[in-house]
Amino acid sequence: MPIKVLRCEACGALDPGPRDLCVACQSDKLVPADVPGKGTLVSWTTIRRAPTRFRGQAPYVVAVVKLVSGLLITGRFQGAEERLHLDLPVAAVSEVDNAYTFAEYKT
Amino acid sequence: MRQVLIAGIGSTPFGRHEEIAIQSLAIRAADAAIRDSGIDRKEVGALYLGNFVSGPLTGQEVLAGLVADGLGLGQIPCTKVEGACASGGIAFRHAYLAVASGMCDVALAVGVEKMTHADTATTTAALNCAMDNRSDGISGLTFPGLFGLAWQIHAERYGTNREQVSAVVSKNKANGLLNPLAQMGATVGADQILQSPLICDPLRLYDCCPTSDGAAALLLVAADKRAELASTPVAIMASAQTRGSARIAGHPDLCTFDATVMAAQAAYAQAGISADDVDFVELHDCFSIAEIIDTEDLGIVPRGHGAGFALEGRTRVGGDIPVNPSGGLLSKGHPVGATGIGQIYESVLQLRGQHPNQVRDAAIGLTHNLGGTGVACTVNILKRTDA
Repeated sequence: MPIKVLRCEACGALDPGPRDLCVACQSDKLVPADVPGKGTLVSWTTIRRAPTRFRGQAPYVVAVVKLVSGLLITGRFQGAEERLHLDLPVAAVSEVDNAYTFAEYKT
Repeated sequence: MRQVLIAGIGSTPFGRHEEIAIQSLAIRAADAAIRDSGIDRKEVGALYLGNFVSGPLTGQEVLAGLVADGLGLGQIPCTKVEGACASGGIAFRHAYLAVASGMCDVALAVGVEKMTHADTATTTAALNCAMDNRSDGISGLTFPGLFGLAWQIHAERYGTNREQVSAVVSKNKANGLLNPLAQMGATVGADQILQSPLICDPLRLYDCCPTSDGAAALLLVAADKRAELASTPVAIMASAQTRGSARIAGHPDLCTFDATVMAAQAAYAQAGISADDVDFVELHDCFSIAEIIDTEDLGIVPRGHGAGFALEGRTRVGGDIPVNPSGGLLSKGHPVGATGIGQIYESVLQLRGQHPNQVRDAAIGLTHNLGGTGVACTVNILKRTDA
């Protein structure tokens, strides 16, 4: 599934958001845009002691993903933990309250 | 800018102080610093107080003014500063600037936090205020989690292993045993660390610093007041502060903190020295892997060699470059707002030759305090004046 990000109408820069001004040119003309949800795993960790609002979900895997658009995004990983390694191809599979969950993507 | 000296130091033990109010902790440390200096407290021209979460955890704010009032200072400007775990370091830098600029001749830097009375959920929620909760927070990431992410990359890139990271824990716990102010000095072996529960892979309980209560304070004076001092002063060679990316998405590499790299470079330039000239370091080991990354970011260990240096004992007292002879955050404790000031307190004792875990012939020390997801950093370089 695609990832909702912000695109600057003035300079075209993309940002995972939320942002008030474009980080590249400081324009306030930021509009919602979709980018492909595919990318590679930058790193991951299994959270076993979670903040209160996520306690019922622990343990869960937090993953940092580099999207094909070059953006970094912090989300969740769903799937077998023994499959995890750096640069694993992943794709977004679900979204709850702007937090995306990724799974292994077999090319 | 004028030369600035640290003329007085004070600190409470770090640990549990359930019966003592937060302002009382700060007043005890600051009163000790004033008395240590020999300076009349009416000469203090400004007070800067570092604190992170006194509002949510103790229900008490306006701490800077409350503390000055309790100390019997004049009706001077009193300012509380906040920069998450770097709050103390930032308070120190502002006190330094107040004197260096000539705004006043004497300034007080105080750091304080009170955390251990609160339940874990309240404390975790308060500490998570230090990340951008519109972006990184929504994934369920925690601060230990951030360092779990960094550790995975360090392991993959440099081959860093559990045994090497455990060496950091064992060293800092052992250093803490020698420090009467430390909260949890201990003899901890690799097996014990490996048997402690996982917090967020690969971090285990022993890889994480405790929550703590405590306060530390420093009295700063212009160099021309030296004749009035009771103790041998320590000179501030450099005090640098930087901003790093506020979000994980803005860090080009999760295995280094650009705020630390930039602050270290600025501090070395200001002091006119290089990393090789530093005799010991008190750095921000909020987690074991953080010490490894910090030593590399500060340039005291070659990039990728932080873990090897730890296991080979090269960062012990007596090694190439002693790191956290106080026990660091892992063992001395981490009363958040007090930590940056406490690091300087420990360094002044080293440079006076009076530290309980003394680094032999220590002439130049460096302190490093990092806040948030690497959004705020201070690095200070201090020098003894009697050598």
